[in-house]
Amino acid sequence: MTKQQQKANLLQGTLDMLVLRTLLYGPAHGHQIGKHIQRTTNDFLQMQHGSLYPALHRLERRGWVTSKWETAPDRNREFKYYRLTEAGRKQLVVEESEWKRMAEAVARVMWPVTE
Amino acid sequence: MRWWQIRKRDAELEREIESDLELEEEELRERGIPINEASYAAKRAFGNRGLIREQTHEAWGIAPLERLFQDIRFAFRQLVRNKRFSAICVLALALGIGAETTIYSVIHAVLIDPYPYRGAMRMVHIHLYDKDPAPYDLALDSAQFAQIVKSPVLDGAIAEDVYTMGLTDSELPEQLQVGRMSQNAFDYFGVPALLGREFSPSDGAHVAVLSYHFWMLHFAGRPDVIGRSLQLDRQEFEIIGILPQRFAWTGSDVYVPLPKSSDPRRPANVYARIHAGATDAEVEQALTPMLNVFAKETPANFPQHFKVHLVHINEIAIGRFQGFLVILFLSVTALLALACVNVAILLLARGETRRAEIGMRKVLGASASRIARGLLTEALLLSLAGGGLGILFALGGVRLVHLLIQPLPSILPSEASIALNLPVLLFSVGIASLTGVLCGVWPALRLCRTELRQAVDGGTHKLAGRSGTRRIHTALLAAQVALTILLLAGSGATVRKLEQLLHASLGYQPRNLASVNLVLSDGAHNNWADRIHYYEQIRDAIARDPDVISAAIGHLPPLIIDSTPVSIPGLKVGSGQVIAQQVSPEYFSTLGIPLLRGRVWTSVETAHAVRLALVNEAMRHRYWPNSNPIGQALVLNNGVANGNAWRFVAPGDDQHFQVIGVVADTPNKGLGEIAYPAVYIPYSMMPFDGFDVTIRTRSDPAGLLRAIKGDVHSVEADQAVGDLVTAQDLLEGDSLGRERFASHLFTTFALLGFAFAVGGIYSVQSYLVAQRTRELGVRIALGASRRHIVKEVTRTSFIAVSLGSGIGVGSNIALGQIFAHWTNSNVRDPWMLLGVIGILFCGAVAASVAPALEATSLDPANALRAE
Repeated sequence: MTKQQQKANLLQGTLDMLVLRTLLYGPAHGHQIGKHIQRTTNDFLQMQHGSLYPALHRLERRGWVTSKWETAPDRNREFKYYRLTEAGRKQLVVEESEWKRMAEAVARVMWPVTE
Repeated sequence: MRWWQIRKRDAELEREIESDLELEEEELRERGIPINEASYAAKRAFGNRGLIREQTHEAWGIAPLERLFQDIRFAFRQLVRNKRFSAICVLALALGIGAETTIYSVIHAVLIDPYPYRGAMRMVHIHLYDKDPAPYDLALDSAQFAQIVKSPVLDGAIAEDVYTMGLTDSELPEQLQVGRMSQNAFDYFGVPALLGREFSPSDGAHVAVLSYHFWMLHFAGRPDVIGRSLQLDRQEFEIIGILPQRFAWTGSDVYVPLPKSSDPRRPANVYARIHAGATDAEVEQALTPMLNVFAKETPANFPQHFKVHLVHINEIAIGRFQGFLVILFLSVTALLALACVNVAILLLARGETRRAEIGMRKVLGASASRIARGLLTEALLLSLAGGGLGILFALGGVRLVHLLIQPLPSILPSEASIALNLPVLLFSVGIASLTGVLCGVWPALRLCRTELRQAVDGGTHKLAGRSGTRRIHTALLAAQVALTILLLAGSGATVRKLEQLLHASLGYQPRNLASVNLVLSDGAHNNWADRIHYYEQIRDAIARDPDVISAAIGHLPPLIIDSTPVSIPGLKVGSGQVIAQQVSPEYFSTLGIPLLRGRVWTSVETAHAVRLALVNEAMRHRYWPNSNPIGQALVLNNGVANGNAWRFVAPGDDQHFQVIGVVADTPNKGLGEIAYPAVYIPYSMMPFDGFDVTIRTRSDPAGLLRAIKGDVHSVEADQAVGDLVTAQDLLEGDSLGRERFASHLFTTFALLGFAFAVGGIYSVQSYLVAQRTRELGVRIALGASRRHIVKEVTRTSFIAVSLGSGIGVGSNIALGQIFAHWTNSNVRDPWMLLGVIGILFCGAVAASVAPALEATSLDPANALRAE
């Protein structure tokens, strides 16, 4: 595995988690998800919206989200809405705890607590 | 996700992306960004749309399939663009694959799946051996058969007695071969009837099942024959079924139930199937005690001190032909390899001109493996197209094989049907794919190593051809030449063998010579004296026909006859094997066999069964090289001395004979083989219930059957007469036909191979000229002579042809022994090899003319401006 691929995998995994977490608030379409992540991180994660789509389709293929074309409440047009499934909820818990453990591990190395 | 939904899925993705872009654009516009800029900004914010689509497709998990389709599409376009190149490659591969498929279809029909019977490969003949190398087929009476069927080591057995019966309800009695089989037989074979039903133990004795062949010939395939009756030897049999075409057990015309008989003089042959997993040796051992008991019950049907030996039915049918087929298969494989090499050369040559394209693709980010896969796809596509066309060629090839084999009924088991069936088609598709990989992988590996630098300054190649490429070409061409030499030598050897046979001295005159076979109906002329008298009457009636010059009792050569042990009491080393033939005294004059010494016995001596013998020249040469054989005694140990229901023994026959003359040799071990020692004795010594009358006619005997039937019926109206066989047909069918078959096939393959090799030499040279245009121009401008240029251009081919010839001749000599064993011909004949190399060099020179002319006529000014 090359370095580039490693980096991509790391980001991908994280992106999946962020998308799942975003969908916890309720169904959303691609644009909304992208905007939400961008806004909440104060534009720190300035990703291009496009990179969301491979992630969304992957999540759908694994059965963690479902999708449906629905008319938006405030507009007179259809969007593809993604919705979290039961399996997706469980996956989010798994990924969250893994991320937490990893963050703690990294933190312990970076900022050792002297006793 | 199903792959066929990909279009729908993709459209949906497009729509999703489109709506995202619109939303972003709207938002940007709301923030006050001008309309035309907003669109660009939205696209920037979204990212690389093409890439996103590809990545999403990856997420669907169908990307590899999509890439495959892309490769195929691209390869297809490449091939269509280079029509001439593709056509040549496809044609070469199609010829190779077609030939391979044709021969494989023969191999499949003959070696792999020759019989339609259940468990056919476990079906055996049970042979009994004593000192005599010719085996006895096991024959048992009904009670013994009932016991052996129950043997735990056998998976079923049948008793059968092939019988010749007269078809007596037709105007002229016709002789049919009737398989009388025990009533369990059809259950044993497990081949369902084509029409109607087969007989079973619950049927009576007077039912008949027809073979497909007889049904077609005699009833023109009419289905309403079921239920009609058939009169055989004046008994009515009801036709209850027709067998499928491939059921040809013992090649009989009609099958009827074998009457139960406890007469020890009427045993029937027994055939069995051994259990799966049992070895031959185990079964032989298990059967021996039972057979020893039987031998005590009916000693006349068993040789003394015998050993049991099983022979599988496919061994009996195929024999030496197996090796011949294997050699043939190797030859077509060599041919296919030649075609592959040719295509590889063409792919390599064309690849050189595609270096710029491939370099560019690499720079644009294509991985080496992706490029190699693309190139391999092209080769595969070529070979599959070649395979498709090759199957069409094979259809023609199978037809051709049928035509060649038709006059040779004995060469294959009659159950075998040569056809392009599913296993054969699978084989050829497999071969085609393998071919694609073989001829594509090397060029692909070479080309995907291309670096951009090489691609861009491709102009430098127009100077000296790179030595690496040249070495590869030399190697490939040399391989082609070597294979072609092997093929040409094989073909040359079989052609020479055929020629030898055509000019072989026969020792008899085959023109206007024929024979008919007559079999007595069951129970007729049932004592020795009556039988001899009857035979003489028939012979005499035929001899008196105005179209007949003379008639004799005895077989037409070149029949291969089993040998009999002989001993000569007057000599020290006086025992061995001879071929014993029973003939009437007119035999030698009728066939035109010269009498070298002594005299022939007379008709009176025949009628009295005087024990006199003639020997052939080979016999004299072996046993009495320096003395006079006349007056010497010899003893023939022709096995079961006791007669049975079918053969009578002359009164007072003690198997001692006195030699009274010497005749010239005739082929008795096959045409072109050295004649085996032979003894001729009067046919009255052991008259069978059937005999051949050989006739010398005034004109072509082919149309005489009717007249001869008339002659025979003037003696006895019920006597059935078999087919008339001419000596020419017999020569053609049995011996020459097989050699002709071999030499036709080998020559076809060798010529194709030769064409491939010459094509290979031509394409390498013209490619070299094209590559080196500029260099050759410089040389000409600097004053190089034409001779020098021609030498430059043809050097690679010259080296390759010389090298290949060396390798070819060497391996030919090394493999000659095997070839000779299976085809009876000599591939090592130096004159023939010299001829082969000569032909090859001529071909190579011819292939060099055009490229050399092109090179020498280059205009230096134009050549230097090229590019």
